[in-house]
Amino acid sequence: MIAALSTEADKFFRSRVTLATTVMQTLGIGILLGSMLLAVQRADAQTIAKFGALANPGGWPGYLTSSSQVTAVAALLGFGVVLSWLFGREFADGTITGLFALPVGRGTLALAKVGIFFAWAVIVSIGLVVALVGLGFVFGLGALPMSAWPAIARQLIVTLLTALLALPAAWVATLGRGLLPGIGTTIGTVVLAQVAAIGGFGAWVPFAAPGLWAISGGLAVSPGQLMLVVPVSAAFITLTVLAWRRLQLDR
Amino acid sequence: MTEPRLRAEGLVRTFDRSAGIRGVDLTVQAGEIHALVGLNGAGKTTLMRLLLGMLQPRAGFVEIEGLDIRVAPRRTWAGVGHLVEYPLAYGELTSRANLELGARLHGVAKENIGAMVDAVLDELNLRQYASRRSGRLSLGNRQRLGLASALQHTPRLIVLDEPTNALDPSGVILVREALLRRARAGAAVLVSSHHLDEVARIADRITVINAGRVIGSLDPGGVDIERSFFELVHTDDRVGVL
Repeated sequence: MIAALSTEADKFFRSRVTLATTVMQTLGIGILLGSMLLAVQRADAQTIAKFGALANPGGWPGYLTSSSQVTAVAALLGFGVVLSWLFGREFADGTITGLFALPVGRGTLALAKVGIFFAWAVIVSIGLVVALVGLGFVFGLGALPMSAWPAIARQLIVTLLTALLALPAAWVATLGRGLLPGIGTTIGTVVLAQVAAIGGFGAWVPFAAPGLWAISGGLAVSPGQLMLVVPVSAAFITLTVLAWRRLQLDR
Repeated sequence: MTEPRLRAEGLVRTFDRSAGIRGVDLTVQAGEIHALVGLNGAGKTTLMRLLLGMLQPRAGFVEIEGLDIRVAPRRTWAGVGHLVEYPLAYGELTSRANLELGARLHGVAKENIGAMVDAVLDELNLRQYASRRSGRLSLGNRQRLGLASALQHTPRLIVLDEPTNALDPSGVILVREALLRRARAGAAVLVSSHHLDEVARIADRITVINAGRVIGSLDPGGVDIERSFFELVHTDDRVGVL
């Protein structure tokens, strides 16, 4: 497992895909929220009303609640793209043939890929919180009140859960032998989450639950419903590892 | 007679449109270079995929050092070096980092990796590209890097699919000498090729494959190996049509 982790870490952390996505996931979301904050500060009352929590209650809690809402969608896309690349690139680049006939099993390599991805997701989640808080200061939100801390915790949890919810991309990229099936799955997951949220049954759909939970300040989704994310992501990790273990280069 | 390093018996794996492998038996002994030759689409790459566990046969089995590859332990795979179709070279990593990665995946101890990578960089004349990202290498140098990754850990069994693809004449000579050195040291080497004169220079045995079957063998020291090859293939094609 150590060999698998070290080789996957080398590939992952030296890649430009990882660097670009890290910047987009942290600074991109941060700057988007900062711009919205700036717009709220300068817009007329009618426009301000359209900004939801950013305008009401506003301040740090509103800013961080809005950031969680954006993160639930944008980070799912970002994490899904990275997972699609992480698994699909071995097929697209042809390096998959070199991952057979080794003392390190392919199931172990797949598990190492998931492990490295999740380690990176923790870094990105913390980096995003730091960027959001920093930009909140820059855009004049003032000192951080105690009431903002639960929203900061929710922001962190939403980002981490979103990383877990992107895992179907890894499985489908493996089954589809490339990046595009994984990216398509990610887009499908985002659509499913939106439909579930609009349809009013999002609390029971793990792909929608974290976003709803964050927006509602933890009221619209129970802890049990939120924790459905764990078995769902565990199922996709298992499916991905099995797919790699049983892999045949028959197409 | 000693146990073959690699043994396949009754391998069958067919695909749509009648492509695939139909009942192939094959052995590679320690210290020998065994070449597989055949026209494009004859089944050489499919056979190599079967031999390395990339494909499961519908019938037959493959053994490495007497062990069925479906249950072969890590120790067995640590002694295998292969390159089938694409080199194990990641574009974002330098040549040296790619070789270090390959060594780790083959279970080489950390303290031995540096010297081992240096040795293969010199052997395949890749030293000048050691710090260059492999994505910026030419096709030929990328192929050489993949071969270096397959050969560096002194494998007991070497399986290479068209190893001289994209190589310039000096690269071909370097690879030829690297394979001869390893075979002399006791490695079993299986190479596929459609360059008959090239395999005739290094092979101890040449097996001809056509339409997924072994149809005969060629004498590496024969006078007109090309004529013998085409006679075998055309005769087999005629029999197949009848």
